[in-house]
Amino acid sequence: MILLVDMDAFFASVEQLHHPHLRGHPVVVCGDPGRRGVVTAASYEARPFGVRAGMSLQEARRLCPQAQYVEGNPEKYVALSLRLLDLYLEFTPDVEPFSVDEAFLSVTGVGSTLEGAAKIARDIQTQIDQRVGLGATIGIGPNKLIAKMASSVEKPRGLTAMTPESFREWFWPRDVSEMWGVGPKLAERLKPLGIATVGDLARAKASDLEGAFGVIGPQLREAASGHDLSPLIPYHQGIDPKSMGHEVTLSSDSEDAEYLRGVLLRLSDQVARRMRSEGFRGRTVAIKLRDHKFVTHIRQATLREFTDDHRLIFERAHELFTRLWKGGAVRLVGVSVSHLERRSESFQSELFVHHAREGQLRDAVDQVRDRLGEASLIPAGAMAGRARRSHVPFGAISSRSLIPRSGRRGASSP
Amino acid sequence: MFETLNQPVDVLTVFLEGRVRPLRFRWKGRVIRVKKVTGEWSRREGSHRLAYFSVESQGAESYELCYDPRGPNWTLCKAWST
Repeated sequence: MILLVDMDAFFASVEQLHHPHLRGHPVVVCGDPGRRGVVTAASYEARPFGVRAGMSLQEARRLCPQAQYVEGNPEKYVALSLRLLDLYLEFTPDVEPFSVDEAFLSVTGVGSTLEGAAKIARDIQTQIDQRVGLGATIGIGPNKLIAKMASSVEKPRGLTAMTPESFREWFWPRDVSEMWGVGPKLAERLKPLGIATVGDLARAKASDLEGAFGVIGPQLREAASGHDLSPLIPYHQGIDPKSMGHEVTLSSDSEDAEYLRGVLLRLSDQVARRMRSEGFRGRTVAIKLRDHKFVTHIRQATLREFTDDHRLIFERAHELFTRLWKGGAVRLVGVSVSHLERRSESFQSELFVHHAREGQLRDAVDQVRDRLGEASLIPAGAMAGRARRSHVPFGAISSRSLIPRSGRRGASSP
Repeated sequence: MFETLNQPVDVLTVFLEGRVRPLRFRWKGRVIRVKKVTGEWSRREGSHRLAYFSVESQGAESYELCYDPRGPNWTLCKAWST
């Protein structure tokens, strides 16, 4: 049997765990609460007010002004996620971390029956509560899809076990958007085909779905029937990432081309640095722009060869930006690279002398950053409008590391 | 709400079995006793790893402290103010 352990309102719960006075109160985790941005996570106390992840902070404050707005800290959540991973490994060696707050577990022996798996799941919930102090919801099923969808049935601290039959009984009458992998936009595209529920999707003709959505169409139909053959990949086997990216919500909407160019350069540099530190190169560069009306535009292009050089990534990102941006106010900028391969596989390109020299320069920059921190060397072009980027966003380097060490002692604020 | 401070502070510290623990610290002219370490995490800065602690004081106040082994020194990162 497969278990999906989903930590309840994880980021907000960790903040409540770390700061007891937040317990029992609505908590909203976000970027810098003093600036604009979006809700990263909302506690269960905040949700009845309509606050949801992805919503603008402005909207969240309107709905729930009494909530405590707390700046998120990825290192905190990763540290607890690793503790949870150790706990899961006491129950089974087959654990696949699915995200920072979700993991699939495969349980055999006693756990090969639904009842046995449910007992293990209850033990896991108890251990998480007693040893970590957090709540978890667990879904159980014969495959990852059913386990994942079962986990959505009852929250928080829910425990739902489903067979393929009970899966169909529960989900088929429900809106198709409740299917794992079907978002609101896809649900809208399914409606003209007469597909409103999960059951409609399961009963649809495979050829109609393939005609409308390509290869993914028949796959969706199989999933709606509760079929899923995807294997559980234990964490120690590792899964290579499909893409790497960074994005930032600007402190205020910007129409300043030079400033936006600097943001693109900084993001390209962050992405390239991460690729190098994890041993990857990529070929497809994508940019994301969100305008002041919250409309998101994404464009991508493929390079001639694999790279982990921020200049090549930036050149292509800037080309895409120049074609896409028509001069309106920009709220968010993102850069990502996909179509990744392990660095060793592309060693051949280093045979070219100029590539080797550039590689040496990159290695030298990386060595300085490894020793002194990410903010020790920044591309000069990324400094345009630096004051406006003094707050470094969630997931990037901290503003603390931007302060020279000599200036820290005695400083009253960053 | 949380106030971001990033102020250097003196912390009475125990080093036990390779672990660092804050016991009490001096801030704004008073000594704050740590009742409970409610959370621990770390962050790499260059080749060093900074240790962070969220703590609850005996007065039920909430703080976040950072231990930097390079000094070594402590920083009071955040304090909860009502």
